[in-house]
Amino acid sequence: MKIKINKKLFLITGTLVAALIVTTSLIGHKTVDYNTEVKPLFNKKCITCHGGVKKESGFSVLFRSEALAKAESGKLAIIPGDPDNSEMIRRITSKDPEERMPYEHAPLSSEEIDMLRQWIKEGAHWGDHWAYVAVKPVEVPDAASGFWGFLSGKNEWVKNDIDHFIYNQLKLQQLEPSAVADKPALLRRVSLDITGVPPSDDLAQKFLNDNSDDAYEKLVDELLASPQYGEKWTSMWLDLARYADSKGYEKDGYRSIWRYRDWLIKAFNSDMPYDQFLTQQLAGDLMPGATDEQFIATAFNRNSMTNDEGGTDDEEFRTAAVIDRVNTTWETLLSTTFACVQCHSHPYDPFKHDDYYKFMAFFNNTRDEDVTGDYPQLREFDIEDSVKLERLKQWLAQHAAKEESDKVIRFLKTWQPAVNAHLADQLVNSAVSDTRLALRNNAVSRLPGIDLTSKNVLRYRYTSGIDKGKWTIHLDSPGGPVLASTVIPASQGWNVGRVDLNTVSGVHDLYFTYNNPTVEKTNENTLAYFDWFYFASSFPGREAPGYDSAYAWFNDLITTSASTITPVLMENPPDMFRSTHVFERGNWMVKGDEVQADVPHSLNPLPKGAPRNRLGLAMWMTDKKNPLTSRTIVNRIWEQLMGQGIAETLEDLGSQGIEPTHRLLLDWLSGQLMNEYNWSLKKLVKTIVMSATYRQDSKVTPEILEKDPFNKYYARGPRIRLSAEQIRDQALALSGLLSPKMYGESVMPYQPPGIWLSPYDGNVWEKSTGEDQYRRAVYTYWKRTAPYPTMLSFDGVAREVCVARRIRTNTPLQALATLNDEGFIEMARHFAARMEKEGGGNVQQQISKGYELAMFRPISKEKLEPLMNLYQQALQQFKKDATKTCEMIGANREHNTPEKAALIVVANAMLNLDEFVTKN
Amino acid sequence: MTQKELHNQRLINEANHETLRFVTRRHFLKDSITGLGAMAFGSLLSGCDFWGSKGAGLNAFDSNNPLAAHPPMFPGKAKSVIYLHMAGAPSQLEMFDYKPDLMKLDGLECPQSLLEGKRFAFIRGVPKMLGPQAHFEQRGQSGAWVSDHLPHFATVADEVSFLKAVKTDQFNHAPAQLLMHTGGARLGRPSMGSWVSYGLGTENSNLPGFVVLTSGGKNPDAGKSVWGSGFLPSVYQGVQCRSEGDPVLFINNPEGIDKDIRKASIDAINKVNQQSYEEFKDPEILSRISQYEMAYKMQMSVPEAMDISDEPEYIHEMYGTKPGRTSFANNVLLARKLVEKGVRYVQLFDWGWDSHGTSPADCLEIGLINKCRSIDRPITALLLDLKQRGLLDETLVVWGGEFGRTPMQENRDGKEMPFKGRDHHAEAFTMWMAGGGIKKGVSYGETDEIGYSARSGKVEPNDIQATVLNQLGFDHEKFVYQFQGRPFRLTDVSGRVISEIVA
Repeated sequence: MKIKINKKLFLITGTLVAALIVTTSLIGHKTVDYNTEVKPLFNKKCITCHGGVKKESGFSVLFRSEALAKAESGKLAIIPGDPDNSEMIRRITSKDPEERMPYEHAPLSSEEIDMLRQWIKEGAHWGDHWAYVAVKPVEVPDAASGFWGFLSGKNEWVKNDIDHFIYNQLKLQQLEPSAVADKPALLRRVSLDITGVPPSDDLAQKFLNDNSDDAYEKLVDELLASPQYGEKWTSMWLDLARYADSKGYEKDGYRSIWRYRDWLIKAFNSDMPYDQFLTQQLAGDLMPGATDEQFIATAFNRNSMTNDEGGTDDEEFRTAAVIDRVNTTWETLLSTTFACVQCHSHPYDPFKHDDYYKFMAFFNNTRDEDVTGDYPQLREFDIEDSVKLERLKQWLAQHAAKEESDKVIRFLKTWQPAVNAHLADQLVNSAVSDTRLALRNNAVSRLPGIDLTSKNVLRYRYTSGIDKGKWTIHLDSPGGPVLASTVIPASQGWNVGRVDLNTVSGVHDLYFTYNNPTVEKTNENTLAYFDWFYFASSFPGREAPGYDSAYAWFNDLITTSASTITPVLMENPPDMFRSTHVFERGNWMVKGDEVQADVPHSLNPLPKGAPRNRLGLAMWMTDKKNPLTSRTIVNRIWEQLMGQGIAETLEDLGSQGIEPTHRLLLDWLSGQLMNEYNWSLKKLVKTIVMSATYRQDSKVTPEILEKDPFNKYYARGPRIRLSAEQIRDQALALSGLLSPKMYGESVMPYQPPGIWLSPYDGNVWEKSTGEDQYRRAVYTYWKRTAPYPTMLSFDGVAREVCVARRIRTNTPLQALATLNDEGFIEMARHFAARMEKEGGGNVQQQISKGYELAMFRPISKEKLEPLMNLYQQALQQFKKDATKTCEMIGANREHNTPEKAALIVVANAMLNLDEFVTKN
Repeated sequence: MTQKELHNQRLINEANHETLRFVTRRHFLKDSITGLGAMAFGSLLSGCDFWGSKGAGLNAFDSNNPLAAHPPMFPGKAKSVIYLHMAGAPSQLEMFDYKPDLMKLDGLECPQSLLEGKRFAFIRGVPKMLGPQAHFEQRGQSGAWVSDHLPHFATVADEVSFLKAVKTDQFNHAPAQLLMHTGGARLGRPSMGSWVSYGLGTENSNLPGFVVLTSGGKNPDAGKSVWGSGFLPSVYQGVQCRSEGDPVLFINNPEGIDKDIRKASIDAINKVNQQSYEEFKDPEILSRISQYEMAYKMQMSVPEAMDISDEPEYIHEMYGTKPGRTSFANNVLLARKLVEKGVRYVQLFDWGWDSHGTSPADCLEIGLINKCRSIDRPITALLLDLKQRGLLDETLVVWGGEFGRTPMQENRDGKEMPFKGRDHHAEAFTMWMAGGGIKKGVSYGETDEIGYSARSGKVEPNDIQATVLNQLGFDHEKFVYQFQGRPFRLTDVSGRVISEIVA
């Protein structure tokens, strides 16, 4: 049977809808609407030449103030109330091809011209794009009392408020919703959606045997409470955070940042309110009394890449990281294509070129500088050292001023704020090598611009292969007064040294000289490396009791090896402040005017009292007046559950994005999230999955398919291929291999050899052992330049930059992965063993059991038959070939039978079934 | 498969796809202005109609058959591309850009005027000039300069167009490779092969449309991102084929499963899926059925296509190939085979051209000569072999690195180097193109007396890209993909077709 998508019908339906809208507006008020009528026309016909990028003849239709201003000709293009004297009307109606607009393009239709004329006559009122206006209260429409309501009477289909919005739209499209899906389908669907894995056997049986009215709600509550919930939603968030276990670019070396992934899992599981969730990730370090966890949350923005390639300009890649943070914030958290504004004003949306750099100023004052050490890193200690730290804190609380004490602790936890050695210049017999200062005999180098006021101790991280190096620090010139002098001893790897400084105030250039009397003359050998320099006042409380032990703890903790390190954000102290400039045409080398941190004026202002730093920025984003934050997350969660966003373009709610199918629903849910659910994402997820809309059967009729091929109106339930992570996790679960272990360093499951071949990087993929081979996909090691292959096959992304939305594809390479990847074969072996063990005596029962384990329903005769045939064919083959039998079973054991091997072939096929890889 | 069989196979595939097309969901071409969908019927329309007379704002992408063959925007001279990238950046001053005046300056300190305002990767302070480290001669009718490092290639110099004044703005490997292949120096943009794959689909559904082959023991510095699909759907990324192990990842059956059992499995899977289709009527299921059929066909045809051992002895002699090893020569021969079978874009990366002078392997006097030797016969053979098969006219061959090398000797960290070497140089270097509608025996562009910067005929990576697209039948300014609210191009906001070398 063929169903033709009838183009004509599609158009007719469209016209009908349009006619309805027009009719409604005729009955109501007949003024021209800027947003739905004028703006789309401007975007299509005018804005390319008269917008944010080009402003031909000094005329632009992007902002009202610009459109109403005099053009270069001195004429007024738009005179509110006076279309006849408005130059724009004259030009769009002109007969002279040299004058007539749009220039060298088809003229506007007479309807379009009339519309513009009337709009000007009515006063040329501008409107803001809906997504840039704060969410207003939305009344839930009544599905039963709508225009068609009287035909259907009380609406039995509706289960919660969402359904009213959906139902009314369905009726407009002349579609009927589908019935509720059966229990097995719902069980599998909602489990995969909420937890990313099939339900446990217990939970499944409980639900299937529970005939009470609220059985489904109980199931949903249990799933939301399970620890797997956090793992599933973290998988989603990692794409937005561009999370990876490597730094990116050429060397793409290891980065220890998995504590951030674990932070996400815990945050989702504890249902941390979304406003808190964002605030901690954007500005956890700036929160009063920030905890380790809050620092780790800021690793969200340390997932930008670090370029360790030799010879790169660190400032260039630091800038690239800052730009990446701005773009990520807007694309993933605010659904706005702000990256456009990097080079010029936004072509379509109300953002000016300067807005980009004002916004960038929020992010431009963090300590990270693209150095090899990936500083600042939060150092977390083992138990013994943590005890020392606590004792030290107690001692400091009694014997030091708070500010002093905070500085000491911050240094121990982060080695900050230190001056990175790559800032050294005027290098003689020395070099900056891989961001470290490398000194040869008779070296001279400069560390410019150090504020020495009340600094009398210098600590420095160094390594030296040779004893007795004399290192002297001169003030202001290589022969200037000596600030300090010390001997650099040979070290075992990196060490932190200390030297007292003579008291000097003000900002100075420091000149380092290094001579080693054991080396005869100047030669090419590097004798010592420096990593960073930390200038501070001396350890407080010299006279206080217990000073000696406290100071000893302090020194121990400086050099002790941390149990984990995690790159975090940390703000520059005032003496390291960086000014932010506009980059002319986006070129970071061409700096324009200096700007101060601010948010775009076309959106809500910074809340009262909000500081102009990342914390203030977070307050702005989580302000209920912010029009984008709540809409963006609601749209995204809807997409995860329903297969597509209410507005399909998750990355762009602006005027170039695809219009939402149910804008009022989007606003209503956004309002609920902020005002009723107190930013609880679990409540939002629950509301959506409790709706009749979500619970519908996903079977489609030819009629619905024809009217709504993409299920934009939801006359059926969602039916979507599982994500890369879900495909792996489900197969592991079915095979009984899935490890419930949570958290920790990323793991390396089976990967074919030869995937990792990065230059200058000795790292290799070493297959994990024990249960670590079978952890959920969210724990798989992610290397940016060579991601895990099956993850990529199923539309995973490289995570070089954030990706707001994965685009689903359907390709033969996906089939090859699940058919032939050794990892999937191993799962098939265990799945077969489970089928055999749990299925009972005969093959038919075993195969049926396998199907039931995945689908929670018995297999139909029609589906069983091809699988039985496959079993028989495979069995005949294996009976003839003992070697193949052993190969299939993967071990040379005496219990190997052709029957076992044949069942593995069937298990392998079953893991490839459309139903298995799809959420039905 | 013979050409005729291949043609028939293509017709059958197309027919299958047409059937599928009507019953499957179509990813509508989105009219970005109104957000309303407009239907387009893919290859039913001519290239011009398919890409639209403007092309702006349209994403031509069918999620259920994303690799269906499309016509280009206009009839292109080239049907396929073989791009030979020497990762690490080969020294133009020892291969093609002969500078006798530089010899006179050998050993003298570099004048300040060449250093001011310039950024170098490793040169610090004042380096010394370094004369050409090779003997040059003019070759063939065209009189092109080719050094003795490439004696075989010297004999076919009349076949190619040299670009002697290529300039880039990146002087580190990873960003420069990204710029050369994705049009931008930052990660996240689609590679040229992905654009081509998106634009043309694949002619041979049994093989990927965009194949990547690497040699030299390492992947290029920018990793898989140089053949990644960026913001295009992931299906358009390059498929890395290997000369050892599985030629394509997961193409071989696991141990224990032979051809017959695999066929039986796929039949069973598809029969069950057919049942699911009867139940759900979801067109995606039909698409999955056809993808599994295609997977099987790929399993049958890829290993054969990737096997060069069945080539005759004289061909192995010509290319210098030894089947079963990973080598640049093997990859070049493989590239010819793949192009012959309808693959659109074959990208080769050969690692190890970074002649800094820090070790024997990366110096001009040993390492570079060895690298030249390893490519000399294969690249020559490729041009001659394509020619003798009548394929050179429709196959565009591109050769080059990500930047060039300095006329100064490297003095890493301000030190003398143990061997002769040159630092990264973005100002000027040589590339060449041949076949696929490119002029023969032309040398375009010129550098100054010492090969420091372009004097005339300067071209940049975006120009190379514009030219490659042009040869394939695409206008680089109109060939766009909507992303982040604006149409993106391979050539970003610049690029010019280098008409001087287009026949």
